[in-house]
Amino acid sequence: MPNDDVKIKVRNLTKYFGDLHVLDNISFDVKKGEFLCVVGPTGCGKTTFLNLLTKLIPPTSGELYINDEPADPKIHNISFAFQEPSAFPWLTVEQNLEFGLKIKNIPKDVIKTRVERIIKLLGLEQFRKSYPHQLSVSSEQRIIIGRSFAMYPDLLLMDEPYGQMDIKMRYYLEDEVIKLWKEFGSTVIFITHNIEEAVYLAERILILSNKPSTIKKEVVVDLPRPRDFTDPKFVEIRKYVTELIKWW
Amino acid sequence: MKKTAAYDQKRRPIKKILNSLLPFVSITCLFLLWFYASNINPDLVPSPASTWERLIQLFVKPVNKMNLFGHVWASLQRVFIALACATVLGVTVGVMIGWSKTFKAIFGTLFELIRPIPPIAWLPIIIMWFGIGEFPKILIVFIGTFMPIVVNTYTGIRLVMPLHLDVARMFNASNRQLLFEVAIPSALPPIFAGIRNATSSGWMTVLAAEMIASKAGLGFLITRGMDYFDVPLILVGMLAIGIVGALLAIITEFIERLLCPWNKKLEQD
Ligand SMILES: Nc1ncnc2c1ncn2[C@@H]1O[C@H](COP(=O)(O)OP(=O)(O)OP(=O)(O)O)[C@@H](O)[C@H]1O
Ligand SMILES: [Mg+2]
Repeated sequence: MPNDDVKIKVRNLTKYFGDLHVLDNISFDVKKGEFLCVVGPTGCGKTTFLNLLTKLIPPTSGELYINDEPADPKIHNISFAFQEPSAFPWLTVEQNLEFGLKIKNIPKDVIKTRVERIIKLLGLEQFRKSYPHQLSVSSEQRIIIGRSFAMYPDLLLMDEPYGQMDIKMRYYLEDEVIKLWKEFGSTVIFITHNIEEAVYLAERILILSNKPSTIKKEVVVDLPRPRDFTDPKFVEIRKYVTELIKWW
Repeated sequence: MKKTAAYDQKRRPIKKILNSLLPFVSITCLFLLWFYASNINPDLVPSPASTWERLIQLFVKPVNKMNLFGHVWASLQRVFIALACATVLGVTVGVMIGWSKTFKAIFGTLFELIRPIPPIAWLPIIIMWFGIGEFPKILIVFIGTFMPIVVNTYTGIRLVMPLHLDVARMFNASNRQLLFEVAIPSALPPIFAGIRNATSSGWMTVLAAEMIASKAGLGFLITRGMDYFDVPLILVGMLAIGIVGALLAIITEFIERLLCPWNKKLEQD
């Protein structure tokens, strides 16, 4: 049953690592152009889900579809901002941003304009010739985010990308990811520990339970943008989500 | 925090000056010891002055038609040729063993068996096979430099962070791109460490090879000194070996810094 509105289809997804039961029979859809946030307790399998979606690891059972085809980074234009610092230490900031574009054989002049744009967007001008180890952790994380943005991906996966950032940078990049999402119409799956961040960004929030994880609840956030942290409706949703999680 | 920094700044200059003086102190001590020893038995331990004289004489009256620089160059040339071949072949073999399970299966064990044999142990058989010309000496040095380069390259390729490979895979990198864009660049620091080891090991090996059979080079100079009971010449040879060895280490480190500017280990001092 082909459906033009659905970008990602997850069906009965189950993952075991040996005896460790991580994901338990999960099914959900992500709409085309949707901004989905996933929250859940530490170690519940959020990263594992993204690894499954990008075929970095195989599922124990269940299926993943992108555009109604089995998910495959070879076919789909996916960008994945990993949770761990994953900038290439042997490349300068600029070269790191170019990396994915070069791998995909994008024309040189296109690479140049895109990278310039990303450098400006992320305020990395003064670091363009620096190596990642010369940067602070939060600046290094900006490289990873920029590397994903630069692909102008169809599907953008972000695994707690702003965890290491100070609050100012985070607010700024939260708005940037929204801008990018709107401009390119990408579908975004954004994993976070920060409920306020999830409510600020998401059109829909998936709340995962403890291991073996299932979807505990789906919360639709239909507040107008730009959103206001102090708006009573915002606060209400935030409290509601917090109530649902309570993993501490 | 601030207090300690200020305190350190006050203390540092004195400590810094002291630390920069210490090498001179130790070298002076060595010289004094040398003077002292040469007073006891000048035949076996020639004084610094007569060693210096011998050095000058080496330029006036060359040994085997070559002054000191000629001999240094003779040794260096052998090392450079061997090192160049070992780098090209060693990196290639190391990458193949590190990257391909099949290659590891074929050559890994073989290599582990051959590796513990020190290059000098190859000397007799290589002389028997190839005589005492230029080629066998270069071959010995090649063996001594090839091994550390292969081992380090192999290890470097094995230790590539899976996360970095995942990043490239996610961008849909081909196997070839994974190797050339991720694995090899990330292995460059260990590869260069291997070349650094190889240079010092090659320098030692060439001298040993020259001491057995040669008409030029610093190793030859030393054996000549022994044969003619020319102890100052031995000392000149030894000092030259030390100085050239140290220069080689400095040069390789400089090249390493130039080619791997991201290497944190090099930046620490
Ligand atoms: N390759 C693996 N082999 C074995 N166990 C694994 C592997 N990867 C993850 N796990 C385990 O699976 C569980 C889920 O891990 P995952 O990294 O997906 O959690 P997460 O939700 O991303 O956590 P966090 O919030 O800390 O990022 C954890 O208990 C983890 O230890
Ligand atoms: Mg995770």
